[in-house]
Amino acid sequence: MSEQKKYMTLNMGPQHPATHGVLKVILELEGEVIHRAIPVIGHLHRGVEKLGESKTYIQNIVYTDRLDYTSAMINNLAYCLAVEKLMNIEVPERAKVIRVIMSELSRIAAHLIWLATHALDIGAMTLYFYCFREREKILDMWEMVSGQRLTPSYIRIGGLLADLPEGFMDKLKEFVDTFDAHVDEYDKLLSKNPIWLARTKDIGIISAEDAISWGLTGPALRGSGVKFDYRKAQPYCGYEEYEFDVPVGSKGDNYDRYLVRMEELRQSNRILKQAIKRLPEGPIKAHVPEIVFPDKDLVLKNIEALIHQFKIGCGGFTVPKGEVYASVENAKGELGFYIVSDGSSMPYRFRIKSSCFVNLSALPEIVKGSMIADVVAVIGSIDIVLGEIDR
Amino acid sequence: MQIVIDGKNITADHGLTILEIAKKEGIHIPTLCFMEKLLPIGSCRMCVVEVEGYENPVTACNTPAVDGMVIRTNTEKIRNMRKDILRFLLINHPLDCPICDKGGECLLQDLVYEYNVDVQPYTIKAPLKEYKEYSTPAIKYHPNRCVMCSRCIRTCREVVGRNVLDIVGNGFDARVEPVNPDRCIACGECLSACPVGALTETVSPTKGRIWQIKRVPTVCAYCGVGCSLELNVLDNKIIKVTTDVNAGMNKGVLCAKGRFGYEFVNSPERLTKPLIRKGNELVETTWDEALSFVASKLTEIKNKYGSDSIAGLASARCTNEDNYLFQKFIRAVIGTNNVDHCARL
Repeated sequence: MSEQKKYMTLNMGPQHPATHGVLKVILELEGEVIHRAIPVIGHLHRGVEKLGESKTYIQNIVYTDRLDYTSAMINNLAYCLAVEKLMNIEVPERAKVIRVIMSELSRIAAHLIWLATHALDIGAMTLYFYCFREREKILDMWEMVSGQRLTPSYIRIGGLLADLPEGFMDKLKEFVDTFDAHVDEYDKLLSKNPIWLARTKDIGIISAEDAISWGLTGPALRGSGVKFDYRKAQPYCGYEEYEFDVPVGSKGDNYDRYLVRMEELRQSNRILKQAIKRLPEGPIKAHVPEIVFPDKDLVLKNIEALIHQFKIGCGGFTVPKGEVYASVENAKGELGFYIVSDGSSMPYRFRIKSSCFVNLSALPEIVKGSMIADVVAVIGSIDIVLGEIDR
Repeated sequence: MQIVIDGKNITADHGLTILEIAKKEGIHIPTLCFMEKLLPIGSCRMCVVEVEGYENPVTACNTPAVDGMVIRTNTEKIRNMRKDILRFLLINHPLDCPICDKGGECLLQDLVYEYNVDVQPYTIKAPLKEYKEYSTPAIKYHPNRCVMCSRCIRTCREVVGRNVLDIVGNGFDARVEPVNPDRCIACGECLSACPVGALTETVSPTKGRIWQIKRVPTVCAYCGVGCSLELNVLDNKIIKVTTDVNAGMNKGVLCAKGRFGYEFVNSPERLTKPLIRKGNELVETTWDEALSFVASKLTEIKNKYGSDSIAGLASARCTNEDNYLFQKFIRAVIGTNNVDHCARL
């Protein structure tokens, strides 16, 4: 008892602008030095996994948008890949390439939010506006394809919601052509900034060994020098056919993780350039009439299509008995879906493997012994989204 | 008798049809015009199956099984035939699913989805059929949705015995029409027999999809027969009455009152408080006051004019227990045999 008394307990969050959502961290302080940090989660718990058991496989797509809402499309993709794997559906080539385009746009959009808020947390406000300028363009593109900016639900089981609208490719090309220069701009503003270096270099270190034992994934793992990326390790959507590098850090501090993500912005753009060249003509949905919605213009003209739309939309489709796990590399790390089907039209069990949850669990270890001001820098640098942690 | 269905050796009784045996064994053969309580006519051809040694496929619903038959119910050829039958049925079908009462519990929808009929290779130019008055205002007939299974006609003839309906016209002009409208008793048996949305009821203005409504099993209170009902309840309001074929002694059959007489349940005109006539007006009162008023008047009349000056008329809508108590009250307390109920009138 007497030993505990000399620490001051400080509640950081959940109403705190720099805990990236509704995260609360209970800090035990010795002066300004952190003796212990306890993350408290659950303020954003919606029961998505339980809800998933009473929604049809199609209805569940919209819940995935709301996990890591900074990069909704990758979440759609991870879920759809899991269901497609369970049902043995092969998606047409054009849909695959569009899925890669959307994934990489999501990654860029998520990393831009990370960069903007991470820099803002530490005091570099200007960058915020630069980043949101580019993110806005991505959201515009999402709006073009799906009508939604934040929660598009564009990727569907068996393909996509609809084909790319007219003018989308021009907009994408314009974005891709200018984006590398924008990353250079961010680079100039931060990478050699002495305040930035003081706040990130040698701060929040986690060794490669520790990172692996904590089960970190994504840039938080690669920052520590472990070259592991699901796009390379277990390629999906034809990622094995794209040329890109997996950047890694050396020390595992805030600055390394920063450099990794900055390089990932460039690499994502590189993948986008290849995808634009590769994009073939063809259908965007697998031809599985009992599962995939028919085209809307057919539904308005054709009774067969109307009946299928009605039956799939109202009752959902049944999925054969079995269980499946599929994961993708989202902006934060591994996002996986574990689904058990009992042969009905709703999952029997619906579990989400969230990288943010795992990465956050290493926070107490990372901030132990560092200064109180570093907590915000570390939270920003491991890049969490509470929507995915609490689910 | 030994037969083989889809590779399964089956011992079956003589005189059963292929469909009956398959159903018992849990082998699914799709049907459309077939109903258990009607004679099978093999008109829709959905139940076609292949029999080894037979030149052409046969309809399972009206082909008796013969010893040694080898039957296949789900071959590629059979599936294609069923698909073609569905395409013919859909060839002129209106795009009504979103506004059709039957959407979601429509046999045609289910079959089209089951057989994945997603393209229509055939075209036809046929004018839309006109709406005409049906034999009862409680039912509306949509000629363009009709699949000509004749279940309504056969139910009217074989189950109800009224012979009201028949098919009029032929080819693409064919439609179901009440040829003897005067004989119609508005029982709605044709409505319940319709596998699609060609016959819809017009009584309740509220409609609900099958997954929105709750089906509450109950017993009809209209008369002493006591038919099983399923009240279709949406937002705590009855919007339709159906009945389960397997429940009760009515076996899926109802009369006009049981099927269409449910609107009173939610009527705002129902009495919820006792009324006493004061002067020329009926005034709301409490149960205590009403009951003591009735008791004192009955005692007064009985003492003045004798027991037989009073008669009791009960309602057939009450439960048996209530009616038993009522006659007991009239006989034992009032002391008269003047007791009856409205169903006899």
